[in-house]
Amino acid sequence: MCQFCMTHGYGKVWYKNAMNYARQMYKLKKHKSSHDHGRDPEGAAALIIAEAVEARGLKPEEFPRLRHMANKVAQEMVAGQVVTLEDAMTMVELASPIALMGCICRKITRGRLEDNEDSYTCMGLGIGMFKWDRWPERYKGGVHFVTVEEAKQWLVKWHNKGMVASLMTHGTPYIGGLCMCDYPDCLAIRYRLDYGINQLFKGEFVAKLDYDKCCGCGTCVERCQFGAIKFEVTIEKTNIDQFRCFGCGVCMTTCPTGAISMVDRKTLPGLREVW
Amino acid sequence: MAFNWEDPRPIPKMTVDNQKCNVPLTCKKCLELCPQAVFALITLKYVKYVETNINEPYAYAVRPMHRDKCTGCMECVNACPRDAITVQFGEGEVK
Repeated sequence: MCQFCMTHGYGKVWYKNAMNYARQMYKLKKHKSSHDHGRDPEGAAALIIAEAVEARGLKPEEFPRLRHMANKVAQEMVAGQVVTLEDAMTMVELASPIALMGCICRKITRGRLEDNEDSYTCMGLGIGMFKWDRWPERYKGGVHFVTVEEAKQWLVKWHNKGMVASLMTHGTPYIGGLCMCDYPDCLAIRYRLDYGINQLFKGEFVAKLDYDKCCGCGTCVERCQFGAIKFEVTIEKTNIDQFRCFGCGVCMTTCPTGAISMVDRKTLPGLREVW
Repeated sequence: MAFNWEDPRPIPKMTVDNQKCNVPLTCKKCLELCPQAVFALITLKYVKYVETNINEPYAYAVRPMHRDKCTGCMECVNACPRDAITVQFGEGEVK
C-alpha cells in the first residue's frame, strides 16, 4: 500500500492530487515539525539526516538510533519518490510556477555549481519559488522560470541523458521540487542505497522485461542508477531485479526493441508493499 | 551497494584540515575525483539575501562525510594541492 496515496491522495496516486501543490499546504510545514526549535524545519531535518550518515563512519554504535530519527524527519519534511517521465510531465501541469535551478546535492557531493539554463538539473515547483531570492546561496547561480512546455522539454533532455526524475516534498505532502537524480551525487538515492535511510520512496511502477523481445544488447544495464539490471550471460539477455527496481523508467525509454514496460507496482502481490 | 547492517569493513580515520583548505570551491579536486564520493561540501556562511563568494576564506568546508565508503585509494591525499587530507586505516601509517 502506498502510504502517501492513502493519507494524501484519497487512495489514488498522491502526486497527481493538485492539493499537494497548493499554497495552503506550503504554509503547513511551519506547524508540522516538532523537532526544529523554531529554526528552518527543512534545514533541521537535513542536519539530522547528515548527522546519522556521518555517524555510520564516526560512531557506528550510535548509527541505528540516529538512522531511526533520520527516517522519521526525512519522511515528515523532505520525502521523495521516484516518478516516471510520464508522471513527471503530469506533475509540471499541476504545479505553478515552475523554476529551474542548480542542484543542491551536486553542490554538496561534487562541488558542482550549476549557473545557467543548460546546466540546471533541479526544478522548483509552486509558490515557494517566488521568494527564492531570500536565500541566494541556496539558489546559487540563480533560477530560471519556465513554461509547462519548456519544463517538459527539460525533463526529456535529462531523462534521455539517463537521469532519474524524483519528486521532493517540503513539509510532506507539499510537493515543492522535481529533481533529476543519479548515483552517487544525489543524496536521497545515496542515503537510501548506502545507509538505509528511506528518504526516497520507490515509484508507483516497476520495470518488467519481455524476454522474447529482449535482444541482449545491454543498453539498459548501464542506465540503471539502482543496480537493478544485470546482463545474464548464459541466456544472453537482461535480467531486472524488481525488488531493486525503483520504477524510474530510464531503462524503458532506451530499449531499442521495446522489451521493457512499466507495470503498476500494486498489481504485483510481492511488490505492492515494497516502497 | 545495497545497505548491510552487518558490514564488517574497517572504517578509516579521515581528517580534512580546514585551515589549510580554506577556499575549497575554487579547487574541489577531492570532491570531483573521489571514486566513492566520500567528501561533502559544507556551506558555513549562509546569510539571508546574500550570496556567498566562493573565494571567501572559511565560507565553505570540505568534510569526509561518507568516510565509511573510503577504500583507501589515496587519490585525494595525492591530489590535494595543500596537503590538507589525511587517511588512516587501523593503527597504520598516516598518509
